[in-house]
Amino acid sequence: MAVAEESHFGRAAARLGTAQPPLSQRIQRLERELGVRLFERNSRQVTITKGGMLLLDEARELLARAEALMATSRRIRDGDAGLLRAALPPDIAGETVAEILADFRRRHADVELELHELSTSEQLARFASHDLDVGLIHHPCDVTGLGLGPVLRRELGVLLPRDAPAAALGEVPLSALADHDLILFPRANAPALHDDLLTTCARNGYTPAAIRHGQGPSFIRGLIRSAGSVAFRPRETRSADGAVDAPADDPEIVWRPLAGAPLALRSSVAWPQGRSDAAVTAFADATTHAMWKTAAVTTDLPSRPVHLRPAAEYYL
Amino acid sequence: MSSTQGLLRDTFVRAGVTGRLHAVDIDTGADVDFGADQPVVTASVHKLCLLVTLHQRAAAGALDLTEQVECPADLRTPGPTGLSAMLDPVRMSLRDIAFLMMAVSDNTAADLLLARVGLDAVNATTAALGLDRTHATHTFGELLATMKEDAGPGGAQALTDPHVIARLRALDPARGNHSTPRDMTRLLAAVWRDEACAPPHGPALRRLLGLQVWPHRMASGFPFDDVHVAGKTGSLPTLRNEVGVVEYPDGGRYAVAVFTRAASTAAILPAADAVIGTASRIAVDALRAQTGRAARGVTG
Repeated sequence: MAVAEESHFGRAAARLGTAQPPLSQRIQRLERELGVRLFERNSRQVTITKGGMLLLDEARELLARAEALMATSRRIRDGDAGLLRAALPPDIAGETVAEILADFRRRHADVELELHELSTSEQLARFASHDLDVGLIHHPCDVTGLGLGPVLRRELGVLLPRDAPAAALGEVPLSALADHDLILFPRANAPALHDDLLTTCARNGYTPAAIRHGQGPSFIRGLIRSAGSVAFRPRETRSADGAVDAPADDPEIVWRPLAGAPLALRSSVAWPQGRSDAAVTAFADATTHAMWKTAAVTTDLPSRPVHLRPAAEYYL
Repeated sequence: MSSTQGLLRDTFVRAGVTGRLHAVDIDTGADVDFGADQPVVTASVHKLCLLVTLHQRAAAGALDLTEQVECPADLRTPGPTGLSAMLDPVRMSLRDIAFLMMAVSDNTAADLLLARVGLDAVNATTAALGLDRTHATHTFGELLATMKEDAGPGGAQALTDPHVIARLRALDPARGNHSTPRDMTRLLAAVWRDEACAPPHGPALRRLLGLQVWPHRMASGFPFDDVHVAGKTGSLPTLRNEVGVVEYPDGGRYAVAVFTRAASTAAILPAADAVIGTASRIAVDALRAQTGRAARGVTG
């Protein structure tokens, strides 16, 4: 695979931390064993053959399984119980966290779960540095090299002061929020999601005069109460009867759905491709199930129309 | 150079992209390297390799650039510009087809030329110039066909689905036309030094690169009437690239290659286009400061 990606024995060898002659011999041996010529060689570079291309997918899968085996062994070696390093984003509800933990325990009692609260950006960085095994990330983000669970969509509504005019509406159009500042999670947590939310707000007639960055629930409530700001928050399952829950103990703040449901959080369980094993799968399943059980999750909806402009250079 | 690295890193992060860049002063060889040896998907940037090949074949007498080519209405590679977007049969010269390929990234024009010179010739050209890590394995029509297949029946709308983006073969350097930022600046430097093609072909190549219409990427970083930017873009879902040469009136000339991948799947992301200009400018300013040329001066 390294030879295919580098188109060069020397560089592939350097990447693999070996020398060129043994790598070259191993490829020749592999070609003999398989009875398939994998690469065309000339003096400057090697190129993958059609046959080699056909085998590339299966080779990747095989390598992935091998890496998964190594990951499991490492975990077993690291302690009697083994250890799974997992992460959830800061916006996840406490109830969901509890459900994930309980469900994971049922599925995989022998693995110790080390759970971290990490933003999408932090999770991607730790996947890259091999410091995290699995996590729940928000889309959109750069999914290069990730395995993904199903996309879980949570519709966003708005938390606003009870005395705001828009609070009198059953469903709030985004344009009705024009006079309020917006409280949003720090952009560094998930820059693409941050920008997408603001773009969709603008598209629907809401360009906040100021964005206040915050994520702690108390801090957010404080800003809503005292500064007349608004914040987006997922719909809660419990409000299926339509009796919208805001923080029930807070008489000054209400939650309202947004008219037309323009905004949503889309999340997936993610893991580095090829490094998943039984424990990762168990965490992924537990998280997906817990989200379905405790949060108002729907499957991903077809998105709005996409008009590719000529500068896109491609056409579908 | 470490402050330049930090600046580039912050700039790419702010724009929501993963960026790779190589910039080189064509006359001194001084360079800025930000992931310059990472394999990257070239997309339409590979049309530059094809253009150089076409002119080399012409220089060798293997073809005549004024030769007329038929482009029937029913044999078009999909695309939003040029012959790809036109409806009726067209007949034009090889060099005018090359103009459309470079000016508006016309996919049909590129495949017509590719049919004339062949992929092997393109690869022979890049190999002969020492671009060891640059290789073409498919035509533009074949590339778009894999995208259509991988995206499924949802069309362009499906490209916002992370699962679709994750499975697009077109985004995998190991499976398709690929290069590195360093290889691309090497190619540009060869074109600007008349090493890729001797006159009159060298100047003809540079003219075409200067006729590219897109203003939103590399050129946006140099809003100066006296600075000339010539380049070729490349785009695929989440990918935005441009390679080009920036020329200052004091004689400074810089080959720059920028390849990005955006976190967002949105088709329209002005910040991700513009960061190619911003990053190019940071690199060129750093190179100019090194050689004592005013970083942002009027003329040196």
